[in-house]
Amino acid sequence: MSRVLLEGAGLEKRFGRVTALRGVDFEIAGGESVSILGANGAGKSTLLRILAGLSRPSRGEFRVLRDGATKPLTRDELRGEIGYVGHATLVYGELTALENLVFAARLHGRAPDRDRLVLLLAEVGLLDVADRRAGTFSRGMAQRLSIARSIVHDPRVLLLDEPFTGLDETSAERLSTQLASLRADGRTLILVTHDPRRAIELSDRALVLHRGEIRARPARIEGAAREDGSGSAGANGDAPAFELDALRALLTRLAEDGRTEDAA
Amino acid sequence: MNVAWTLLWKDLATEWRSRDRVVAMIVFSFLVVVVFQFAWPPMEPAEMRRFAPGVLWVTYVFAAVIGLGRTFAMELENDAMTALSLAPGTRGWIFLGKATATWVLITLVQAMTAFVFALFFRVELWTGIAGSALIVALANVSICSVGTLLSAMSVRSRFRDVLLPVLLIPTLIPVLTAAVQGSVATFAGEAPPFDALQLLIVIGGVYLILCFLLFDFVLDE
Repeated sequence: MSRVLLEGAGLEKRFGRVTALRGVDFEIAGGESVSILGANGAGKSTLLRILAGLSRPSRGEFRVLRDGATKPLTRDELRGEIGYVGHATLVYGELTALENLVFAARLHGRAPDRDRLVLLLAEVGLLDVADRRAGTFSRGMAQRLSIARSIVHDPRVLLLDEPFTGLDETSAERLSTQLASLRADGRTLILVTHDPRRAIELSDRALVLHRGEIRARPARIEGAAREDGSGSAGANGDAPAFELDALRALLTRLAEDGRTEDAA
Repeated sequence: MNVAWTLLWKDLATEWRSRDRVVAMIVFSFLVVVVFQFAWPPMEPAEMRRFAPGVLWVTYVFAAVIGLGRTFAMELENDAMTALSLAPGTRGWIFLGKATATWVLITLVQAMTAFVFALFFRVELWTGIAGSALIVALANVSICSVGTLLSAMSVRSRFRDVLLPVLLIPTLIPVLTAAVQGSVATFAGEAPPFDALQLLIVIGGVYLILCFLLFDFVLDE
């Protein structure tokens, strides 16, 4: 699978007087798995929608490059490379699971290959209910169908906006396993979450957002970090370690900073 | 083009299973016909044929507003609108698929309404049925084109239920003028006037092309 590079420079997004993102810079290489962490209102979903080509930045530049290419993808080309899973499932309750996948494939200009779609349903554990309407599914089943729908056109980049919302522990674990398997396929995974445990489980590094700004970029350092038993460490200077306690402490500190700023 | 067929199939399949749009439009249309029937003063058949098309088109347009209001509201359930926005290629095909599905549903409801209307008002529809069908089909191109575009534009607004008719009906005034003028002729058993047909074809074509091109911007935030 060829890869794409996502680059953002000085991204800013305003909604009227509210600035949701300010001065956001990042570079995400093909095949990387990155989490975007932060509290509610930090700008995580806004950033993800810009990455998906669903929203344009008010200022700054966002571009996506294919391996070895110098010309960035157009927004139209970008949409063909993106798979998107949101809090909502993006499926039609009146259509069956299989029909939802046929619809998604055709929407992306792919001829629906029934064998492949059946295989996809089997991978997400929905083969038994392929002909049942999605409206009758539990939240966990619908979210698994949403994952299948998002990869029906074989995208290189998978964007996940709080996909664990509303799932019980069993469904969440199952989803986590499926995402790990998609990551192992070499896809770029960008996960928006407020849960540092899921970020560590599924990502190589994180961008921690607070009030629209990136406040930290903790990253896993393979090998060296394992030797001292800490599991991982900060990638740069004073960045926090990419481990559960450090991320939780960072998010708590940012939340307290936010309350202090509000009070002032 | 395949995307348009896919959307057409999806919208008709979901409507067949839920029947929420068609049932709402039919109930509304039948109620309007019944209410008008009670309010209608006794008049000669010739006079009746002159006034009836106006009543019928008022019913058609308000029923269409109900159907058009649901065209994109159904895409908000489970945020399927985002999935549509992520589709690569010309988004005008999405518009065309949705508009065609709405055209089919609205035309179906109008045919049933015309039948009930003919029964209640004792209007002879069969003599000019071909001309009437042509006028309805052409006028619906404009109604569904502009209506689908405005439905997509207003769907995320808090005031969508108010916004859609307020924006839609003024843009349809020339279409309705031509449609009523044509229907008066067909109800009298004459051929539809050429200038009315010409107007419906030109406006329908312009609206269809404009809405196809503008739809790309509507799905963007």
